[in-house]
Amino acid sequence: MKELLRFLIRYHFALLFILLESIGITILIQNNTYHKASFVNFTHAISGNFSKRIDGIRDYFSLREENRQLINENNKLYNLVKSSVNISYIDQKIETESNLRLKYVYIPARVINNSTNKQFNYVILDKGKQDGIEPDMAVVCNDGIVGVIKEVSEHFSSAISFLNRNLQVSAKIKKSGHFGPLEWTGKGHQNARLKDIPHNIKIQLGDTIVTSGYSAIFPDSYMIGRISDFHVEGGNYYDITVELSADFKKIRNVQVIKNLFREEQEKLESLTQND
Amino acid sequence: MIKELAKYIFRFVILVLIQVLIFNNIQLSGYINPYIYILFILLLPFDTPGWLLLILGFLLGVSIDLFCDTMGMHTLATTLMAFLRPFVLNIIAPQDGYETGSNPRISFYGFTWFFRYAAILTVIHHFVLFYIEIFHFGGFFSTLFRVILSSVVTLFIIILSQFFVYRH
Repeated sequence: MKELLRFLIRYHFALLFILLESIGITILIQNNTYHKASFVNFTHAISGNFSKRIDGIRDYFSLREENRQLINENNKLYNLVKSSVNISYIDQKIETESNLRLKYVYIPARVINNSTNKQFNYVILDKGKQDGIEPDMAVVCNDGIVGVIKEVSEHFSSAISFLNRNLQVSAKIKKSGHFGPLEWTGKGHQNARLKDIPHNIKIQLGDTIVTSGYSAIFPDSYMIGRISDFHVEGGNYYDITVELSADFKKIRNVQVIKNLFREEQEKLESLTQND
Repeated sequence: MIKELAKYIFRFVILVLIQVLIFNNIQLSGYINPYIYILFILLLPFDTPGWLLLILGFLLGVSIDLFCDTMGMHTLATTLMAFLRPFVLNIIAPQDGYETGSNPRISFYGFTWFFRYAAILTVIHHFVLFYIEIFHFGGFFSTLFRVILSSVVTLFIIILSQFFVYRH
């Protein structure tokens, strides 16, 4: 206290000056709109600049995670290249580029609306007819499948989310190749049920479930999830619970997959069925 | 003592009135605005205590601001000028210091001394005032031009006043 008093007395001249000038600045900024606006602009410029720098630093800390994601994505793309190309066997001897025919086209899109808490969920994308999106195209993200396009407008499209009781996807166990229909359990945003797998084949917890490629919508062997639980149901079939690998609560960037041969394939299929 | 006090109060009021009623209405080509009211700070005795100097500077600035509708600008400039006055006095002090009982006037320390003293403080005051009014450094030199021209005119009037009004 005594020290403080001594300090105040010793520097009273400078302190009083600072006090009076502070009052002056307050009066100036309070009473002059121009000065007030300039002052606010100035402080905003400083705080804006500051938060930009902080953001830049924060970016560095997330580089590891970002790198990991990029590597994953790269790996996935390498894998996709093989499966997205349909090799023509008709003229195998002449190996020209025309033999490698593109089967799938990937159109990037962004999720602009998404629900996970209903029984019939939909995902809205920011790409539409103008970007080449048509009904019945597959929607996937880097981690797994997302859904199937249902309606398209000029600039937007809506997809039936996999979290929709109406959607069934043909899936297979990657290891053994056995396939069956996969659908959402209706509970949580992470669980699906795979049916029609005969109980005599061996499966393990953690086995990978991928798309079967038997529908004309999803490409072959696209990641869906892993087995999280299974038991024998009734007599002949397993009841397998699959944990989806895509986190539907945070999907943001997705790809819409166009199958260039879908019409051809479906036409053939319908011909065969009509027999 | 009372007589001295009354003299300074009278000088305060008169200078504010002259500034507000006469010099604020003189606009020479938009560049020159003489602010002669700072003469009050210049003429305070050497032994004025620091705190009184600051408070008087503050009050003087507020009074001018109230009349000019420029809230805060003159206050800031005049308080700063009052704050710097002791330092300026120290820098330009004559060899044997200031005599007790003397005032910062031409009659005591001569024209050159008074001119330097008034010029330094006037330029400081005008510089701060004009830049606070503009509040940014864009067009730095056009404002500096105004500062210099106005300072010259203010200084001229202040020195003139020393010969005609405040003669002994």
